[in-house]
This record gives sequence, C-alpha cells and structure tokens, in this order.
Amino acid sequence: MIPAKFEYTRPGSMADAVSALAGGGDDAKVIAGGQSLLPLLRLRLAFPDLLVDIGRLGELRGVRDEGDTLWIGALTTHDEVMRDPVIRQHCGLLAEATATVADPAVRHRGTIGGSISHADPAGDLPAVTLALDATFLAHGPGGDRVIGAGEFFVDYLTTALAPGEILTGVRVPKLGPGWGYRYEKFNLTAQAWAIVGVAAVARRADGHVAETRIGLTNMGLTPVRAQAAEAAASGAEASTAALRSAAARADEGTQPPSDLQGGSEYRRHLARVLTARALAVAAGV
Amino acid sequence: MMELEHSFTIPVSPERAWQVLLDVEQVAPCMPGATVDSVDGDVVTGRIKVKVGPVALTYSGSARFTERDEQARSVTLEASGKETRGSGTASATVRSSLQDEGGQTRVTVHTTMSVTGRPAQFGRGVMTEVGGRIIEKFAANLAAQLAAGGQPASQPGGGQAEAGPAAANGARPRVTAATAASGNGAASAGAGTDGPGELGLPIEELRLPLRAFNSLRREGIHTLGDLSARNEADLLAIANLGPASVKDIKQKMAERGLVLATAGTATVPPAGGAAARTQAEPAAAPPPAARPPDEDAIDLLSVAGFPVLKRALPIAGAVLAVLVLLLSRRRHRRRASARQG
Repeated sequence: MIPAKFEYTRPGSMADAVSALAGGGDDAKVIAGGQSLLPLLRLRLAFPDLLVDIGRLGELRGVRDEGDTLWIGALTTHDEVMRDPVIRQHCGLLAEATATVADPAVRHRGTIGGSISHADPAGDLPAVTLALDATFLAHGPGGDRVIGAGEFFVDYLTTALAPGEILTGVRVPKLGPGWGYRYEKFNLTAQAWAIVGVAAVARRADGHVAETRIGLTNMGLTPVRAQAAEAAASGAEASTAALRSAAARADEGTQPPSDLQGGSEYRRHLARVLTARALAVAAGV
Repeated sequence: MMELEHSFTIPVSPERAWQVLLDVEQVAPCMPGATVDSVDGDVVTGRIKVKVGPVALTYSGSARFTERDEQARSVTLEASGKETRGSGTASATVRSSLQDEGGQTRVTVHTTMSVTGRPAQFGRGVMTEVGGRIIEKFAANLAAQLAAGGQPASQPGGGQAEAGPAAANGARPRVTAATAASGNGAASAGAGTDGPGELGLPIEELRLPLRAFNSLRREGIHTLGDLSARNEADLLAIANLGPASVKDIKQKMAERGLVLATAGTATVPPAGGAAARTQAEPAAAPPPAARPPDEDAIDLLSVAGFPVLKRALPIAGAVLAVLVLLLSRRRHRRRASARQG
C-alpha cells in the first residue's frame, strides 16, 4: 500500500531536527531506520504530516566505552550492535538479543533507538533494556534528559519521551565478573516476533544467585520485569530445581495479551518455562 | 466484541440526572476524542479520534437513542462509525440506567463494543484495554456532567473540557460561520482584488505545504474567501500554524491580489463558531486556545491517568523505527515491500 501524503525533512544538525519537530506539532514524527514506522504508514495506521529523518545526525551513531558503562548511539543499527566487540564483551545480553531481531535486511536498517522508542511490547530490545537496567538519553527543546528504563515504557507503543524530544542514546551498565545472561525467545518462525521472550541477567556467588533481573517481552502492553521471580531467585541456590521454582512465579502480576499466536494462559506458561531456562544459563547451572 | 461495565454514584436526584441523560447533545460530548458535527433530533453525527502511540484512527458516524424506558430509568445509545481513512468499522451500544440511592443516584453504564478492520489486528488484549479506558473516561465525564445537573460546567476531565467547545461547534454555527466568512471576505478583500471569483476558489489553489493546508482545513477554512476573512492573529492562533506559514500564506495570497483581514475587522472566531452556544456573549474575543476539533484525540495517557505526559504520545511512539513491526500478522507484507525497495 502507498502511505498517505506527508512532508519529509532531513536536517543536518540536532538543533535543526529539534526545531523541525517543534514546528511540526503533534503530527510530526521522527524516523530513523523506518523499520517500524514505514509499515505503519503503508498500512495507513499512522498519518503524520511531517517526517523528520534523523539519519544525517552522525553523532548519534556508534558505541563508546565510558568506564563502568557503555554508551550506544540511538542510530546504531542492530547489525552494528550485534557485531560490536565492546558490546559483546561487556553487554553480551544486548548482542545476543539483537541477533534474534527480525532478519538481516531489517537489522541493517533498523536502529536500537528506533526499536526502543517504538516501544512495542513484542519487540526484543525493550525487555532487554529493563533487565540491563539501562538509561535512555533524550534531547529536546528543554535540553538533555535522562530517563531510566523502568520509567520509560509508559503504555502500548508509548514512552516517556516528551513531544519534540529525540532519543539520542542508550547507556548500559557493564556486566562485571560473576554475571551471566541469557535471552530466551519463543517464536514459530525464525524472523517472527517473540510470542514471549525472557531476558535474564544473574550474578552468581558461592553457588547461589546473588542478584538477578528479568525482563519479559510481550507479556503485557509494555515490557515488564518479572519481579516475583526475581525476588524468589535472589539468594536461591544455583540449582535447576531452585531456579525452576523461582521461575514458576515469572508470570505473577502480568497481563499477557491473547491473539492469534496464543492465548494469555499459553503465554503465562511460556513465561515460566523460558524464565527457568534463561535463569539456568545466566546463573551457569 | 467486548463488554464493559462501569458504575458510579452522583450527588443529584434520579429525576434531575434523567433529564441530562436524555439530552444527546449533552451526553455525546462526554465521549473522549469526540467531535459533534451536527445534531438532528435524537441523532448526533460526528467523529471520534483514537490515538495509540503513532497510530491514529478517526471514525465518523452517528449515535442515536434506540430505547428510552422512563419507568426503569434506562436509555440505550447506539453508535456506529466508519474509519475516515480506511475501511474498518466500530460500533458500540451503551446502556445507561439510574437507581435511586437515597437522594443520590447510582448510574450503571453497560457497553458492548466491536471493531473490525486493521485495528482489530492489534489483538483482543490491546483492544479491550484501549476500549475499556475510553469507556472509563466516558463514564467519568458523564458522571461530571450529571453531577453538574447539565450545567455547561467547568468540567474536571480534560477530555470533556475539550469536547465541550467541540459540541458547540455544531452544524448550525458552522453554516453561519461559513456564510459570515465569505461575506466578510468579499468585504475585506475588496481592497485590491480582481473580484469574488478568486474568493470562491478552494485553498488547494495556493499550493500550501501540507501541514499548513491541513491546519486550515481543520479550522473549516476551505476557500480563499474563508481565508481572507481571517486576520493574521486568527491564523497564528491555529495549532501547527506558525509565523513562517502565515508569511507564506500572505505571500501566496498577495500573488493573487488578496490580503488577510486586518486585526479589527475579522469577526469570525478561529474555531469556526466556538461561541455558538453563547451567542449573546461578545464574539470579539475568540478563545486563543481554541483547538481544531481533530486534536481532541483520545489519548491513552490522559485516559489512563497520566495527564502530565499527555502530549508525549504521538512523537514518543515514533522517535524512530526499527525491527519490531507493530502488526506481527502483517510481517509478510513488509518483507515483500523490502524486496521491492
């Protein structure tokens, strides 16, 4: 299908991009890789008057080692993220999950910032940023702002970004020694969305799980943390049985959707099983 | 198809609430995101806009009372609409009933709703959630309206506050506004034009940027005559229309020998008759904050109770775009298009 008419601008600087967005009012949208927005336009589910293409803002691309954290530019493509040696070394969960995103064509165009700000609960990266306890950097008319992953995903396809704000980058804490990770994704065809996905990181000490964070994909209108399972797993013995019983609480407090891919009970079941698997790998059991 | 039930009490008698409940002109604007276009007896026609992140759907259709039971104090309102830019449909049956609770009134709102077309692909979970919030907001607005006893109250709900003026923006005033506009335009443009022929031309003729064009159209400005009836301040008060756009408009009008009205002469309020209900009031002060009706979109955040973040929705959802497509069921389409591109 052909999208409805819209105007298009590709500013050369962040300042121009912000002012173009401000001038566009409510009906302006930012576009980067276009792998989520363009399908919406083509299906005529979205009708922006103005698209502000931030593809020329080179400063939003790349990965920087900041000591205890990594900064990943919003325009960094999935392909760059999954191949980046610094990310693979210090933040392997992100590389592992990104490698499961869609297909190579999409991964070469789609960006980490776009995926996150699109905030699709079925997208892999939002839940991963929750498990990693990432923070998001935004720039808007009011200057720079830092938003924690826990506060960022507000509602279905909706984030805490203010009107006119552009997501510039993602900051993720490095996983230190003792930490393990795993992204378990369940889908029926290789490049499909996750019916359910589970992103887990865990720190193991003295044969126990010292701490863990678990993010769930597609278990509600936003990505969510599996808090009950996290609490149950923290301090538990790093054994298959103990982690499995903690994972049995993975779906507590979630409201998974029912759709053609599966009912909500099915999703609850998947969340428990996948959490057990992810925790086992993350804790090195 | 989904069913929702809401119930609330209001501090007025059932007799008084009943009167309000019967007035479709008062009930319809309680629907968040609704714009009333006209009222003809029991039938209201209008539009309703639903916004979910980058997704924006507008339905146009009508609502009418299908049942009024004075004895049981219950009314049934049926509404149905078609997507204005697609082939989907939405319909709802809202049954409201009143019970006396010792001077107070308990209102029960039972809604059945069904949606077809592309939006239905969001999946049942999302539809129920979104639909539920819309109805919740409707019930809250209705409660405020009933509690105010049908006074055009200063409503607490943002949705209703916006829907209020929209209701006044009905068929009658719109016609008057248009008439006034062309008459006025002829007068003000008389200064330097080659006649009323130009004034009848649609604003498409100016070849304005799409955004400016849409903003004008939303204000009910369809012809050069409509445009020349407005002064510069009127245009600047229109959402999404800034000084640059206005300059552009003036220049393009000048090419045709037309000018905008001067500040003192324009009498058409920007919202196309926002003052209709209060015609006795001086029309000299068009509300600068008057919004084009289309903007009264339901906005999940405010509906969900995060009014502070209200305007964040549209842009937030879009800040870029990537791997995750909205509609997993449509994946194959995207893949087909990727091959072409």
